[in-house]
Amino acid sequence: MDRTALRVHEIVKDFDGLRAVDGISLEASRGEILGFLGPNGAGKTTSIRIILGIFEPDEGEVSIRIGGLTGRLLKERTGYLPEERGLYSDATVLDALVYFAELKGLRRADARERVLRWLGRFDLVPWAHKKVEKLSKGMQQKVQFIAAVAHEPDLLVLDEPFSGLDPLHQDLLKDVIRELRDAGTAVLLSAHQMNQVEELCDRVFLIHRGRQVFYGTLDEIKSRDGEHVVRLRFEGSAESLAALPGVESLAVRGDRASLRLGRGASPDAFVRSLPAALTVRELSVTRPPLHDIFVRAIEKENHEAA
Amino acid sequence: MRLRSVIRWEFLRTIQSKQFLIISLLIPAMVAIAIFAATSAGKGAQQSLHEPPPPSVVALILAMILFMGAFLSGVMTLYSVVKEKQGRVVELVLSSISAQEMMAGKVIGLGIAGLIQVAVWAAAAYFVASRFTPISLAALGPVHWITYPLYFVLGFMLIASIYAATGAVMKDVQSGGASGLVGLIPYVPIMFSAFIIENPNHVLVRIAGFIPPFTPSVMLLRVGVGAAATWEIALSLVSLTVGVLLTMRFAARIFEIGLLMYGKAPSVRELWKWGRMRHAR
Repeated sequence: MDRTALRVHEIVKDFDGLRAVDGISLEASRGEILGFLGPNGAGKTTSIRIILGIFEPDEGEVSIRIGGLTGRLLKERTGYLPEERGLYSDATVLDALVYFAELKGLRRADARERVLRWLGRFDLVPWAHKKVEKLSKGMQQKVQFIAAVAHEPDLLVLDEPFSGLDPLHQDLLKDVIRELRDAGTAVLLSAHQMNQVEELCDRVFLIHRGRQVFYGTLDEIKSRDGEHVVRLRFEGSAESLAALPGVESLAVRGDRASLRLGRGASPDAFVRSLPAALTVRELSVTRPPLHDIFVRAIEKENHEAA
Repeated sequence: MRLRSVIRWEFLRTIQSKQFLIISLLIPAMVAIAIFAATSAGKGAQQSLHEPPPPSVVALILAMILFMGAFLSGVMTLYSVVKEKQGRVVELVLSSISAQEMMAGKVIGLGIAGLIQVAVWAAAAYFVASRFTPISLAALGPVHWITYPLYFVLGFMLIASIYAATGAVMKDVQSGGASGLVGLIPYVPIMFSAFIIENPNHVLVRIAGFIPPFTPSVMLLRVGVGAAATWEIALSLVSLTVGVLLTMRFAARIFEIGLLMYGKAPSVRELWKWGRMRHAR
């Protein structure tokens, strides 16, 4: 069975002669979380707006496949948490949320029931009849999230969902996002915290200057450079570490060292060659974190452009 | 179905807002001014204060009330659009409905609120005025009862869509700019109302009756003094309807593009370009 929920085909968008989005293509499937990453000004928000039908692309097309239907985007079946938060600040939480669910085609009674269930999930029931502006930033954030999901969309676009949330609520939100994924929602997640992306996403798309930099599963992207990162806590002298097989760079701070093993270097050979004079307290060998891959990919692009 | 939700939401939010209350309190004063101005303008045609005023005076009063109501709900529309822009609600709304639906919902929802407001106060004013002056609705014939509501509603929609588009290109409520003046065009004939009442068949007046932004006020007055021929009424309604549809389409384009722009206000030339664009950016 084809689980593709969203298909974006070579979309292009110009603003006053500047190309904001330059022919990107991607697909998102039901039951997956696709990370949509890029530095500020890369064309992320414009792409998202095109995907959600807020902007028309100059070229290319966006199609959505839901319940056997293929065709132009159905706005009722998408949910959106915009980066720029905004709700009717002088309306009550319940009224605003019911209205947004109604705009997605729900009947009022139905909308109300679902909104109340979500408010319960986020411990916001006592706030249901308070005005949105009376809520703390974190609470408003949760309300905004409910506006994106109350109508149970098939495609959910989350732009920076974790900003402004404390760690407790970040975890709560992560759980909810995973649940939605398991229930068959296709999730497009844009975030700047790469550790969150690594935790949640199955695949990622990196955009820079309106173009695709890389697109694939986390494993594919991490093994692309064939590098490893070693983190070490030790007693003794770190001098000999730089000469070990495969080591490309070494940084020592106190009793901690972090090393990068170059392309094709074997973690096994490295560990076996650790000198006996060194007492290892902690040791980890991992693929480079997404954060480093992101930074280096963008730096490389910028360097090539210059 | 969704449009009905938008209309309902905009209407309820409006009548619960503080601005609406303030405007409600301002209206009786303005209705009084309208009646006073119209009665003095119509003095020439009138023998004495105790005689019933001619239909022209009633027409002028109604024209003024129409434009007051349209102006006030236009301004409320403008505020509401600017506020949603500043509150960054627009993006979420547009991920659910089209800009056209959003604008139509606002224009209709706030229009109903404005019309109700004006109707209530006009009725109250009429009640008071008819006790102390000879003003009477009996002066209105069937032709008035048929054409006035049409000119009213179409005139309302014309003005409200202009204001909605103006709001969409404004950064905040302080920066009106040149685009704010466009909303005043339909009011120009009101300044010449004395001339129109006295020369309802002047060639310029007759032509102005067919130019959509001027149609509602000019025709209200011409019909009021009984100078408009049936074919002129029919033609003016057709041209006004076409004008309203074109204005709404043009305004909807500007609305759509302006909504998500937060930079400097666009120039008149840019607006002209936007209005004719096939789709939004």
